[in-house]
Amino acid sequence: MKTAKRARTDAVATSPIVLIAQRELTITVRNRWTVIMAGVFGVLMLVIAWAGVAAEGFDGMADFTRTSASMVNLVLYVVPLMALVLATLSFAGDRGTTELLFSQPVSRTEVMLGKIAGLFVAIGGAMVAGFIVSGGVVLFQTGTHGIGGFIAFAVMTLLLGLIFLCVGALATMLAGRRPRSFGFAILLWFHFVLFYDLVVLGLASQLRGQSAVTALFLTLFGNPVDLVRVASLIVLDNETIFGATGAALLRFLGGPEVSVLVLVVAAILWVALPLLWAHAVLRSQDI
Amino acid sequence: MIEVSHLSKSFERTKAVRDVSFTVREGEVFAFLGPNGSGKSTTLKCIVGLSLPDSGSIRISGIDIRREPRAARQVISYLPQRVVFPDSLTAREILLFHARLRGVAPAVVNAVLEKARFVAGADRPAGTFSGGMTQRLGLAVVALPDASVLLLDEPTANLDPHGVRRFREFIVQQKEAGKTIIFSTHLLAEAEQLADRVGIFVGGRLVAEESVESLQAVSRTAHSIEDLYLHYVGDEHDEP
Repeated sequence: MKTAKRARTDAVATSPIVLIAQRELTITVRNRWTVIMAGVFGVLMLVIAWAGVAAEGFDGMADFTRTSASMVNLVLYVVPLMALVLATLSFAGDRGTTELLFSQPVSRTEVMLGKIAGLFVAIGGAMVAGFIVSGGVVLFQTGTHGIGGFIAFAVMTLLLGLIFLCVGALATMLAGRRPRSFGFAILLWFHFVLFYDLVVLGLASQLRGQSAVTALFLTLFGNPVDLVRVASLIVLDNETIFGATGAALLRFLGGPEVSVLVLVVAAILWVALPLLWAHAVLRSQDI
Repeated sequence: MIEVSHLSKSFERTKAVRDVSFTVREGEVFAFLGPNGSGKSTTLKCIVGLSLPDSGSIRISGIDIRREPRAARQVISYLPQRVVFPDSLTAREILLFHARLRGVAPAVVNAVLEKARFVAGADRPAGTFSGGMTQRLGLAVVALPDASVLLLDEPTANLDPHGVRRFREFIVQQKEAGKTIIFSTHLLAEAEQLADRVGIFVGGRLVAEESVESLQAVSRTAHSIEDLYLHYVGDEHDEP
């Protein structure tokens, strides 16, 4: 094909990160797994909103605060899994596709950031849709009481999704091929969502008094799921649920606002550090 | 021009490429000929910057691929050995993406689709394509940016006889347009028909660089491609 006379675009070129993000978004949205996961998430959010306070023995809807508190566990289980699966699907893609993309005049950093941005918009869109639908139901039934906490909780959920996209990208780069990457991703999900708390509680049970509380407080920062759980419950005015640890956290950090700020900063570090690590791995490995 | 100097690359305990040096002149078609696992693909991947060499240097049009990968890749178009496209994207979407990434006017995409005989399947998802169609789309992606250097890794691997013929036409057209081309193959006839010069890879080493005429003279005395490789390797034994 003779292409020598082709004109190049005069328009300002779109950033490669944006182009790759757009493509990743299209691929992810058309992926049936994304549709299934987003659908399940949305339906469960809606069910929680409808079920509301039924467990307490009367019909009707819970307000935003109670609905959000009910959603916390769903979010903490489902969102990390969704993000890890999508990151693995994207970063451990077919070799031919990956090689073609990385052979273009774009840097490895741009490819990584573009992919994460596209995945985040896809997963974030699914989550926001779930929050809007369930929030709409609550708003229609009970009014706006607690809506600020609900929105803050939605933001925490987005942050959790971003954290696990970055962790998933790193895990895939460390694991290599797709089957191993999926295994690693599932292992990480079990670690952060289930095992970590069991191990921490086991360790804390060997300690007494203040040292146990301090240990629980410090281990909080080793698990982004716990960070988001605690921050979400604080913004939903449910910090008393943590008992001594929650009290120690609030006392140590100087109140709910500062506590949430510290937890969010720690969560942002859980985005930045895996991303930097993934970047370092990607720069030094063969595609 | 492509200059590869003392290139070596290992994967764990396997030495995939061993001290390979060669130069491909501007407008030349150079074939990597060798059996599977001889280092052809790894050498190509090092030239593109996908694999990171253990040692040696690679310059494309005077640009060091390790120091300025983006600038070097501006002049390169690469076709991977088993090109695959995302199942859900159409041929048109794939070409538009690559056009925007390389600063090519979107209008060019239609012309490329037409030349690649993809007009009817342009809006079908890539997941429905046969191996031959996928390879044709790969060649269309390669042709899109008007790059001066084409690197093609076993480009006829999935093609039917019609596809092979179209590929040969493609190479001739690109050569006439002044492109510098390296392609890898394990088919002697393909190298003889399309290349100006041939590099013979055996056991990760470039054991010979021959003009097509010299290769044809040698191949007349060889009973098989294996005999040809043995002719160049002689009594040397490959290290494990």
